Amino acid sequence: MKIDNSLPLEYKTEQNRLNILGFWIFLGAEVMLFATLFATYFTLQHRTGNGPSGAEIFEITPVLIETILLLTSSFTIGLGVHAMRIGKKKAMMSFFAITLLLGLAFLGVEIYEFTHYTHIGAGLQVSAFTGILMTTLGTHGAHVTLGLFWGLFIILQVKKQGLTPKTANKAFIFSLYWHFLDVVWIFIFSFVYLKGMM
Amino acid sequence: MSELFPRKQVMGFVFSMVLTAAALTVYFLDVSFAVGMTILLVTAFVQAAVQLVVFMHAGETEDKQVIYMNIYYAVAIALVTVFGTLLIMVWDM
Repeated sequence: MKIDNSLPLEYKTEQNRLNILGFWIFLGAEVMLFATLFATYFTLQHRTGNGPSGAEIFEITPVLIETILLLTSSFTIGLGVHAMRIGKKKAMMSFFAITLLLGLAFLGVEIYEFTHYTHIGAGLQVSAFTGILMTTLGTHGAHVTLGLFWGLFIILQVKKQGLTPKTANKAFIFSLYWHFLDVVWIFIFSFVYLKGMM
Repeated sequence: MSELFPRKQVMGFVFSMVLTAAALTVYFLDVSFAVGMTILLVTAFVQAAVQLVVFMHAGETEDKQVIYMNIYYAVAIALVTVFGTLLIMVWDM
């Protein structure tokens, strides 16, 4: 195993480096997945049938709360990776835990939002618009849900095994995933919500 | 304690909040569709770039070129997918 000490822990071996590169390629594919959802959303957003339009159901307060929660969680996981790189295991685990709590809060608001939409007659099957809206939001929300479990397992592994090249590599890759979800949310925030309420 | 909060990341976070506030002007101020879309496109793509460079450390190893090439490719395909669809299905050209 070739060990390079000029790089952070998570890049220590050739395999580690390739894992990170491979994950970037996966994220590239994820970009395209969300692009198809956005393309479909823009196509169907005015096909509201007898249901409500975006302007009628979107509310700024929950959307803004979700945005701030996710942006902050992206910041705290960045701090977590930084703490990991200077070898502070406790601080790293705390930042990762805060990140997951913020993610959980985000998910809570999103679930509230979904039940609210269903109550006011904008459920999944009402129109092409509500269908694609909930599919797009739901795909992002499903990613966040997966991330919560993934992150929890990362914290448990770091707790058990300490900061090794292996666990650091896994933690770094998880941080890439989490930042990516934040990027996707920025586009949902801008081109689904703000554009819809403009 | 301060070593846990590197300046670069704190500034990145502040900047992302500023960009969010800038994007919100399209909701709180009465702007035309064209101006609003311009603001949103600029704030969203700058915001994404901040995440990539500051938080995701996209350019810190020798894989930098491959990683950026992969991102450019993904973004290019995404833009072709979205604008190609808009062109045909929405703008009717």
